[in-house]
Amino acid sequence: MFESLADKVLDLTGEVAYIIPQAIIIVAALLAPLLYFLTKNGKIPAIVSFILAVGAACVCLGYMHTKTYGTAFGLFEFNAFSGLMMCLFLAVAGLTIFVSPVHSETTKHQGEYYALIMAATAGMMFAVASNSLIGIFVSVELVSITSYATVALKKNDPRASEAAVKYLLIGAFSTALTLYGMSMIYGALGTITLSELGYRFSEVGVNWVVLMGSVALIAGYGFKIAAVPFHSWAPDVYEGASTPVSGFLATASKKMGFAVLFKIFFALFIFAQAIQYQPIQYIFAIIAAITMTVGNMVAISQTNIKRMLAYSSIAQAGYIAIALAVMSQYAVTGAIFHMFTHVVMKGGAFVIVAALITAGLGENISDYKGLAKRAPLVAAAMMLCLFSLAGIPPLAGFTSKFVLFSSAIYVNGEVVTEWLWLILIAVLNSAMSLYYYARVVKTMYIEEGESTEKLVISKVFMVAIALCVIGIIVLGVYPQPLLRLCRTAAIALLGF
Amino acid sequence: MDFPILSILVIVPLVGALLTLFMGGARAPKAKFIAAAFSAVTLVLAVYLLTIKPEDLADLTENYVWFKVSGVVKMNIIFQIDGLSILMVFLTALLVFLVVLFSWHEENNANYYHSLLLAMEVGLMGVYMAADYFLFYIMWEVTLIPMFFLISWYGGPRRHYSAIKFFIYTHVASVIMMIGIFIVVFSAHDGSHAVSFAFADVAANSALSEFMQIFVFGLLFFGFAVKMPVPPFHTWLPDAHVEAPTGGSVLLAGVMLKMGSYGIIRICLNQDIFSLAFGFWQPVMIGLGLFAMVYGAYACIAQNDLKKMVAYSSISHMGMVLVGMGCMSEIGIQFAIFQMFAHGIISGVLFMVCGIAGHNFGTRDMRLLGGMAGKFPVYATFMMFGFMASLGLPGLMGFIAEFGLLYGLWTYLAAHSLEWLIVFGLLDMMLTAGYYLWAMQKTLFGKLTDKIDLEHCHDIAKNEIAVLAVLCGLIALFGIMPSVAMDFITPYSSVLGPALEALL
Repeated sequence: MFESLADKVLDLTGEVAYIIPQAIIIVAALLAPLLYFLTKNGKIPAIVSFILAVGAACVCLGYMHTKTYGTAFGLFEFNAFSGLMMCLFLAVAGLTIFVSPVHSETTKHQGEYYALIMAATAGMMFAVASNSLIGIFVSVELVSITSYATVALKKNDPRASEAAVKYLLIGAFSTALTLYGMSMIYGALGTITLSELGYRFSEVGVNWVVLMGSVALIAGYGFKIAAVPFHSWAPDVYEGASTPVSGFLATASKKMGFAVLFKIFFALFIFAQAIQYQPIQYIFAIIAAITMTVGNMVAISQTNIKRMLAYSSIAQAGYIAIALAVMSQYAVTGAIFHMFTHVVMKGGAFVIVAALITAGLGENISDYKGLAKRAPLVAAAMMLCLFSLAGIPPLAGFTSKFVLFSSAIYVNGEVVTEWLWLILIAVLNSAMSLYYYARVVKTMYIEEGESTEKLVISKVFMVAIALCVIGIIVLGVYPQPLLRLCRTAAIALLGF
Repeated sequence: MDFPILSILVIVPLVGALLTLFMGGARAPKAKFIAAAFSAVTLVLAVYLLTIKPEDLADLTENYVWFKVSGVVKMNIIFQIDGLSILMVFLTALLVFLVVLFSWHEENNANYYHSLLLAMEVGLMGVYMAADYFLFYIMWEVTLIPMFFLISWYGGPRRHYSAIKFFIYTHVASVIMMIGIFIVVFSAHDGSHAVSFAFADVAANSALSEFMQIFVFGLLFFGFAVKMPVPPFHTWLPDAHVEAPTGGSVLLAGVMLKMGSYGIIRICLNQDIFSLAFGFWQPVMIGLGLFAMVYGAYACIAQNDLKKMVAYSSISHMGMVLVGMGCMSEIGIQFAIFQMFAHGIISGVLFMVCGIAGHNFGTRDMRLLGGMAGKFPVYATFMMFGFMASLGLPGLMGFIAEFGLLYGLWTYLAAHSLEWLIVFGLLDMMLTAGYYLWAMQKTLFGKLTDKIDLEHCHDIAKNEIAVLAVLCGLIALFGIMPSVAMDFITPYSSVLGPALEALL
């Protein structure tokens, strides 16, 4: 049934079919302000955007199911990798939109708010689908600019304005670096098409211009993934922004950064891998090690839960960056899988924080004292999210970390000791991170709060939290279906 | 495999844990019935396993593929049972059931308490039956969270500190163990099919160089040694024990510490994987074991808190297990397993006795107690029985284990012309007798104390008597007829022991 449907769509639309998911989201972005203008009710654009996001995700899943892969206009490619990443972005966008109408920090300018979230999502989807450097650059810019505005939308909070300005300035700087890097690569290799980059590079050979361009690109997109030392904006922005937006940035926007880095660097070094192009791998390995260490160490001393989650997501970026250093199919599978588990656990944690803020609780960790008595289900969900982030089995975070860490020891069919130091750092970090996660659990469960009054949590939040918790448990205990998709995506990305 | 009894041993407590978890509010007092029922079913199944002939145990093995990653790596769910694990499984089922009965009057959030006990049982059963590195590691970690909450919710005054220390200390050890597992597993592939985490597949294909064997053995050994615990990695244990509730302490000492020694026998002492590492690690294990024995016993003498004394005595007794494993001979392995079993039962009695002191008398401080035997004769009998069993009185279980282990140690020392080291073994026996007798003298005998409010002291409860009587009966049974337990152990140790001896 799906096959014939997909064929019909292809017959009707031609190659436009491959950007239908993005088109749906753009329609949502245009509809949202219009609907808000007409109805003056924030729920309407939210519902419509949510439905369209779910619809777009269904289209992606349908295409992947029927293996309807192809390229639109020679620019935007729908393959197993971009399809899976689109589903990830749509899931995050859906979650964000789902909880926004009931969240107390959500701006009054709701038409613009949903339009911006949808536009950012569309940008991410284009970014993973683009098959040229310029396409990637423009799509990422779409995401960046809408993100600045989304952060700034929380108007009456000076922290949000500060965060937005900081984000804008640093973002502009990173954009410049990125473009500079791309121009160097173009200058040296004479092409901006990803599929030709690797071939040209293997012809030209080891080239300092390409290397410098790569470093500039790493720095530029390093800002996006909040890798140390390009991470300083992240805690301020996550703390300043409205909480669902923080969750959106921490889970979706960061994953787009990784997806783009994967795309560019695997395209560039796909042939170079045969000759072990080590300088870039080592740069990524060192960035990964520093990122996870700094993220975890600074997280320990945080007192604000959103800042703590921000540093913890910096640390998680460090774990994902292991795949960039190792560059094997198994590692990339693990990285994509970790992106998904990160969505459920970190997204879940941010949704819980948002729910608690709406219920009148503060953002400080000390405000969570006695939470287990005041909101037992939410506290239990938070505990699962945090333990999953710390990598305690049998939760999702453990399974994905297990795959990711083991990929650095088992590269392309043999045991290598080259990355043993990186894995040692990673597991020690993982153990260290348990300290600050367990501290929050301790605060919720063990310390007595001043108030024992029950908190009223909106049903909408409960549904969103329940979805995340189910995700955490299912991905931990039965990861097979998603792992298979991740593997297909990794093969599509790497070409082997 | 008609009836998946091994998976059911894991599933029954899991269902019980989930049921009791959601019995909050007014239904909480009924949770203990559910917990008792589910742990009783598990115990019955475990006892049923004991009736199966040792050579037929292999037929019970269950093997499922759990998931595959990227077509490169395969995780399995494999449960198996053999002479090493069968007594541990029985011990786990027994102790959990008895702890549920022992804590019958626990009223503070009783449903969570029982849920945590059953969740512990899930993890412990999993560890002892897993035959896949991935499953083993997961189950190993699963035991952490219930124990963390048992300590931090139901524990003593410094419970927060102890719980976090316990959690992080042992988690660090396990992640280091995880690296060891990675290297062992991934080095054991022949490239033709997906890397399997199953014990058997790894052992069949392992090919580590000598240096890597020694290195990886060290990583794994560290993970297990922290759990046992072996000094100098023991500091979490006294804290955790002193603050844990009685039920938690019983499980912690009785079966959780055994996870460490079990792991060493099961994973480190694997002649297919680490054949070249034994020569390097044998003296280290013997040395650390002797140190643990003497250090633990010596530390006991300095304690005023009964429970802390018993906690240090666990370190000393687990040191003995380490020495037995370090002998890497048939007798060493055999009695190491027997000592694990014996210490599991005896430490159950010891920690329950300490718990009763804290609960019924209001203090466990030996300086405040005295002459309790006259006032509470039943309690005193159990305490004396437990202490005597632990110090190795002939006729009781502890004696058999210690005798066998010292004999094994002597064989090793004589073969290496190190006979003088036996002095440490004897020193340990002397110190052990010393601190137990001293403790009894201070708490049970002499003048009746006037430092505590005797009016409010109450005698041992009926359910506590029943539980202690069962354990003491087992101690006497296995003391007089050790062959009952040995029949389970020998088929395993008579294969592993000679194999190890042949390699050294």
